[in-house]
Amino acid sequence: MSHLTIRGARKVYGATVALSRGDFDLRAGEVHVLIGSNGSGKSTLCKIVSGAVRPDAGEVLIDGKPVSIDGPRAARALGIATFYQELSLAGRRTVAENIGLPTLPVRGGIFVDRERLRALADRYISRFVDVAGEGFSADTRVEQLREDQRQLVEIMKTLATEAPILIFDEPTSSLDRSQVERFFEILRELKAAGRAIVFISHRMDEIFAIGDRVTVIRDGETVATSLIAETSPAGVIRQMVGEQEEFAVTNGAAPAESQKGGETALAVSGLSGKGFADITFEVRRGEILGFGGLHGQGQSAVLRSIFGVMPAEQGTIRLKGEERTIHSPREAIRCGLAYVSGDRGRDGVVHGRPILENVTPIHFLRNRLSLVRPASLRESAAKPLSALKTRFAAFDQPVNALSGGNQQKVVIARWLIDRPDVLLLDDPTKGIDLQAKADLFALIRSLAEEGMGIVLYSSEDAELLTNADRILVFNSGSVSRELKGAERTRYNLYHAAYEAA
Amino acid sequence: MSVMENNATPSRSGIGVLVDRFPFLPALLILVVLVALNGYFQPNSLGFRAITGLISTYLALMMLAVAQTYVVYAGDVDLSVGAILSLVNCVIIVLMERWGGGGFAVLGACAIGIIVGVACGCLNGVVVAVLRLQAIVATFATSIFFTGLALYVLPVAGTPAPALYWRTYGGRFLEIPFVFYVVAALAIVLIIATKARLTTEMLAVGDDAQKAFQGGLPVTAIRLKGYVLCGLFSVLAALCITGDTASGDPLVGGAMTLYSVAAVVLGGTALSGGRGSVTGSVIGALIIGLISSLVFYVGTPSQWQNLVQGLAILVALMLGVMVTRRVGA
Repeated sequence: MSHLTIRGARKVYGATVALSRGDFDLRAGEVHVLIGSNGSGKSTLCKIVSGAVRPDAGEVLIDGKPVSIDGPRAARALGIATFYQELSLAGRRTVAENIGLPTLPVRGGIFVDRERLRALADRYISRFVDVAGEGFSADTRVEQLREDQRQLVEIMKTLATEAPILIFDEPTSSLDRSQVERFFEILRELKAAGRAIVFISHRMDEIFAIGDRVTVIRDGETVATSLIAETSPAGVIRQMVGEQEEFAVTNGAAPAESQKGGETALAVSGLSGKGFADITFEVRRGEILGFGGLHGQGQSAVLRSIFGVMPAEQGTIRLKGEERTIHSPREAIRCGLAYVSGDRGRDGVVHGRPILENVTPIHFLRNRLSLVRPASLRESAAKPLSALKTRFAAFDQPVNALSGGNQQKVVIARWLIDRPDVLLLDDPTKGIDLQAKADLFALIRSLAEEGMGIVLYSSEDAELLTNADRILVFNSGSVSRELKGAERTRYNLYHAAYEAA
Repeated sequence: MSVMENNATPSRSGIGVLVDRFPFLPALLILVVLVALNGYFQPNSLGFRAITGLISTYLALMMLAVAQTYVVYAGDVDLSVGAILSLVNCVIIVLMERWGGGGFAVLGACAIGIIVGVACGCLNGVVVAVLRLQAIVATFATSIFFTGLALYVLPVAGTPAPALYWRTYGGRFLEIPFVFYVVAALAIVLIIATKARLTTEMLAVGDDAQKAFQGGLPVTAIRLKGYVLCGLFSVLAALCITGDTASGDPLVGGAMTLYSVAAVVLGGTALSGGRGSVTGSVIGALIIGLISSLVFYVGTPSQWQNLVQGLAILVALMLGVMVTRRVGA
């Protein structure tokens, strides 16, 4: 019988406060749902319990005794087991080995006891065998399994610890109906046996099917804990949104519907590919179209496929009314598309190279330049950089010397020497400071006013609500709702994002 | 996750399943071809005497390749195995000489050698797994350090090993050469090691260290143990090379380090960790040995031997990769 309490947990990464006041109370024999929007701090809270993150302040109590959880192994010793959203499986090991990995049964001191391992694995596999689908067996290597089957293995691995406290961080995101139902059956048994279970999911129907209590986290703070029986999906969403904004129409400079008559800059219809299906939308010149919803519902995948990184399998893309097939980012750039990713390290910055080289690659590509005079190149690079208020000492300074915000400005500046027609922004403000964000959105708005069509995906809902003219809410790879004008409220955004797919 | 995303197709050919199960099969195929080629160009090379000679010469490399495999399993690498080999070689040569070269002197020196090698492995493990320095650079640095120690222990190459030592290594028991017993013992140890829990744990760490850590494996301890095992097998390699050369040389192992890495890769083990077998590494070492002897048997002029040998290793590597790609993934 375990009783876990977290009081006043706080975690700060550099300048961002991931969790400012996390309170949580978990009792034996309950399924306790943890819910919050993107970046609200629930993952951080979970990681504190699983030992992956150490809190800067606050305390963790088990059965009333303060404990310090120094790592996953310490957590395990305290009777806490975690299902990791990103899974903790070894791809080249078999299903059985993965289920038993943390504590492989031993024979003769050093050998793996294959028989006991097999028996252990079979005990958990048998619970899922009829819903696991084709090709699932104890001897299959995990890398040969489908995504949902891997998720089942992680579930079995978590269950096999027989720990009194179980944390499931989005365990059902790839599972089908029958698999979820089987999993819930098991959760109910465990609950009856007195285990304490934390359950994180974004599907309201699941939360209300399995939960006993629900704790809502907003902006790094625990808002409230209520009994599932005494609340409703709308009530939970209202807590996530916050009272003051409950039905308020978004403020800010956004509702610029003036360019209503602008011609279409980008039209996408029936676009399908890995991670999204049947996406249709139009962006007019002068418009900022927002992509919203929870993380990883296909927003990035759509943007990247339009830009030719992972070309779509089906559907058409029209630029200024002309149909285009784009196979690579190179072709996309030639067609007048621009793409800025929040993952600067992977998609943006040319590491270790001077700022000048980081600003000019697109200029080179679009004008097919091979030789240039550095002086004139500097001149054309200086304009967009100063328009963005980029702070830097000299053009030959390596780009890594700049802050994240200024690096992102350099990356954006590269698209402004020769203006593109359509700007695709893929969560562009990840990890940059508030001033840089403000500069960035001011620029994006003025670019739109000059006639650019802009698609903005942001994982921060506030950014979307204040900056986008229209918002498409993504849910499980397709658009579940379009929010226009006065509909653009936090409540509507969450409601569409958290609905059952 | 992204690494494992695209290959979720369970449909595989029969050979594919075999290679999946025994990643050293392509290497074995190359080995058979090389044996045949050797036999074609020099029929005597398949004789009992020639094979005994080949094994006594390359037993050290086999041991060293096994040593390297244990760190590669976990995604690490050890560029100091050759230096550990040199150091242990010098230490036991000097000790055996000082202690008079009798039976107890030899056994005592070997025991000290094992302690020295394991200590070297420990140091590597602490530097890489505990202090988390880059494995390539850190073990490169310790290799210079170990070589320095070896030069201190034995500044000039040449001190001979006692007759008892090399006569045993090159001798026969019950009409069977001593090295064959060593090979048999090695085989048994390796079979046991394959079933050990540590091997599975090391491979799981090699798959993805961060996930293994989150999953509750003691990652640091596992990587450390890998380096200790590596040190231990480097000592065995040193004992073999001492028997083969019958003398001490503080630089004897320098060139062998990268040969050991090559043998590991030739044997079908992934340098990124998570997949492979010690059997493959032993076969890889034999491939390298057979290539050198083949180059000699074909009658390559001496000034071209290195060039041809290098090309041949490249070809073997390419064949192995091609076979694995064709039938595997």
